[in-house]
Amino acid sequence: MKKIAFGMCLAVSTVAASFTAAAADSPLPGNVRIVIGSTSTGGDTYQVSAIVADALSKKLDINAKVDAVGPTAALQAIAKSTDGSTIMLFHDQSYVGNLYGVRGFPDIFKEYKIGPTVAINPGDAFLVPAKSPYKTVDDILKAAGEGKRIRVAIQPGGTSALGYTALKNAVAVRFPGKEGNVVAVNTGSQADKNQLLFDGNADVINGSVQGNEQYTRLPADDQKAMRFVWITARQQTLQQANPEGMGQTSREQLLTYATPAASVTLDGKKNWAFDKEFFLIYNADIKPEVVAALDKALAEIYADGSIKTTLKKSFFIPNFMPAKDAQGYLKAKADETKVLIDKIK
Amino acid sequence: MDAILSSLDVTYFLLVTLGTVIGILFGAIPGMTATMAVAVCLPMTYALDLNHGLALLLGLYVGGISGGLVPAILINIPGTPSSITTTFDGYPMTKNGEPEKALKLGIASSLFGGLFSAAVLFYFAPTLADWAIKFSYVEKFLIILFALTVIASLCKSLLVGIFSGVLGMWVSLFGVYNMSTGGNGELRIVPEFLSPWLENGFSLLPLLIGLFGLSVIFEEAQKGVHDEHAESVKLAARKRFQWSVFKGQVTNLVRSSSIGTFIGMLPGVGGSAASVLAYSQAKNFSKENDKFGTGHPPGVIASESSNNGLTGGALIPLLSLGIPGDSTTAVLIGAFTLQGIQVGPLFIGENQTTWDVMMIGLVAANLVMFLVMWFAIRHIAKVITVPKYLLYPGIMMMCVVGAYAINSGIMFDVWTLLIFGLFGFVGAKLGLEIAPFIIGFILGPSAEVYFVKSLESFGTLSIFFTKSPIAVFLWVLIALSVGYSIYSHRKNKRLTPSGK
Repeated sequence: MKKIAFGMCLAVSTVAASFTAAAADSPLPGNVRIVIGSTSTGGDTYQVSAIVADALSKKLDINAKVDAVGPTAALQAIAKSTDGSTIMLFHDQSYVGNLYGVRGFPDIFKEYKIGPTVAINPGDAFLVPAKSPYKTVDDILKAAGEGKRIRVAIQPGGTSALGYTALKNAVAVRFPGKEGNVVAVNTGSQADKNQLLFDGNADVINGSVQGNEQYTRLPADDQKAMRFVWITARQQTLQQANPEGMGQTSREQLLTYATPAASVTLDGKKNWAFDKEFFLIYNADIKPEVVAALDKALAEIYADGSIKTTLKKSFFIPNFMPAKDAQGYLKAKADETKVLIDKIK
Repeated sequence: MDAILSSLDVTYFLLVTLGTVIGILFGAIPGMTATMAVAVCLPMTYALDLNHGLALLLGLYVGGISGGLVPAILINIPGTPSSITTTFDGYPMTKNGEPEKALKLGIASSLFGGLFSAAVLFYFAPTLADWAIKFSYVEKFLIILFALTVIASLCKSLLVGIFSGVLGMWVSLFGVYNMSTGGNGELRIVPEFLSPWLENGFSLLPLLIGLFGLSVIFEEAQKGVHDEHAESVKLAARKRFQWSVFKGQVTNLVRSSSIGTFIGMLPGVGGSAASVLAYSQAKNFSKENDKFGTGHPPGVIASESSNNGLTGGALIPLLSLGIPGDSTTAVLIGAFTLQGIQVGPLFIGENQTTWDVMMIGLVAANLVMFLVMWFAIRHIAKVITVPKYLLYPGIMMMCVVGAYAINSGIMFDVWTLLIFGLFGFVGAKLGLEIAPFIIGFILGPSAEVYFVKSLESFGTLSIFFTKSPIAVFLWVLIALSVGYSIYSHRKNKRLTPSGK
């Protein structure tokens, strides 16, 4: 009996020692939990996070695991971790939520530390039914200017709300006083947004190239058939996508829905466009050596190139920027976004 | 055909089997769910090709949904929310010394429900998906309302039952009106100082386990531990399972499986509504409806065939529209996303091989589930022969671990478990009806969202009556269900001595 107990102790000690050794090589712990600001495992945040986690696991010989817990729980989780054992990956909603005053979204630039950017999803899109009288986003803006009520299905406080705000602002700029004709239909999941379109309870919905492309290929007499009218990504970002685009819609076709072909003015002079960017968020007091280690690892991963192929295959644009640059870049982006939101309040 | 056969290698079937077994274990442990099983194993599929990844996940899905019947029948704790109604008759059968019969009944019904829904998925997926999108917020609200009418048929006292149901709905609304469902993000009912704990309200599973599991343990603790032999349930003498128990139950099986499949294909309505509806309809249509809740086999048949009927149903909108039908298929969609494959209205036509391989996987998972559970059941059923003074601490520990794990380590979930364990214990003494309370709690948030969104979309209450022929038909069903329940209550009152 004593021999068995001794053997078990020895085995446990050996396993524990091997883990300690793995962790000792890097300032990062052997197990890293990447919490994401979405509860969905079918969305773009999970997809990007899984790709990044896989690359980091291989590069640093750690066990990085993605946990889809949602924004509030994710921010609470990293608030307890300064050693890098829990880090967060999310997109612009992390500060857009705060700009819209949504509960549970603190000022991440003050209360957390911004990590490196990793990718852009250029697929944020607005769609209408295939039989809609509005063929382009310009038709929609003109209709609102002529006094027609345009109902836009969005999720409040998210990046889709930003597109709605931009549409409203464009109407305000081109047809002052008519912006009230653009109204939000607040809803949640993509399924709900699609359903609103099927039911005729929304004129325009927010969606994505990835999620809605197949709907745009249905016969026009199908109740489910849709048409892209606007892709919010910047032209130069969308141009970096693979030429084959998504599904059977080529990059060239997609570019006809983005600025400048599809124009949503910001101030009468330049168009508004927005890249949905994914980046890491850390505890404000995270160890500097952890930040440096992740920056270094990701720089090497992106320089190696295979992650870029993986990301582009899934219609993402690789976009690595180290933490020290990302902080200033995203803060400036947030300040610009605040101007738009404040204009339409 | 060659492409299909090349995907169906030994590894494929091993992964289906592995997934099913792990899924059953997840489903059987209170606090662990099919959704959790799929979510935990999802990253593993990144290293597999799509078909092998799907084999594992489909096994987990079917196993996870099916495993919930084991604790529901043996210890009165639903392993998953959709097995709540299995406790109504399954646990009384266990108390009557027939746990093995109840388990086998549940397993066979699960197999029927699973295969029924797989057949419906295979033959009618695109057509049904087109029909499903005719259900707007209004029709979905009416379906929830229809499911809520089960309260009338389940409760002993109509007034107390309705009060308990409304109380459950009220408790379900605690916390923030979630923006991810189109809410306004504002905190309701909860005072600000409690918001750090109750921001997201009470979690379903800890509440469920507390009310069903812990309250029973408190009840037993109050009685005190007596003689070991008196305290453990005896297994009935081993008898060969009589398939004749299904005699006259074909209609129940088909109706319940259809309800499960139908509810599954409506995104957002939820699996619990399926088993609740199937159970209430089985009771309403039965000539022996007074036997429901006392260990009546048709109750187990209805519940288990409907919750497994859900599996194929929830895959219909996923594979025909790219919209997950329930929380587990919402995780399942991640397997496609990770492989960079679009799931939408053209998925089946453009991915014929994947579709065929998935169908084979779904059928295989149901068969594996049946074989694994059927032959293990005699041993599993022996759990109830363990003396309660040994069994209950073990259950309590599992409940606490499960509650803590459900949201990745939130301590408040353990407090929720204890609070509602006490609530169930005290509430039962005060005459509160726990089943209607639970049903109100589960269906409350969906009822709220669909009611509010209907009004936001159409701006008038009359829309609930005039939206479509489907809405009118649902009102007829609701009226019939309520009317029949009232009639049954009155009839039973006349027949019982107190009513004389």
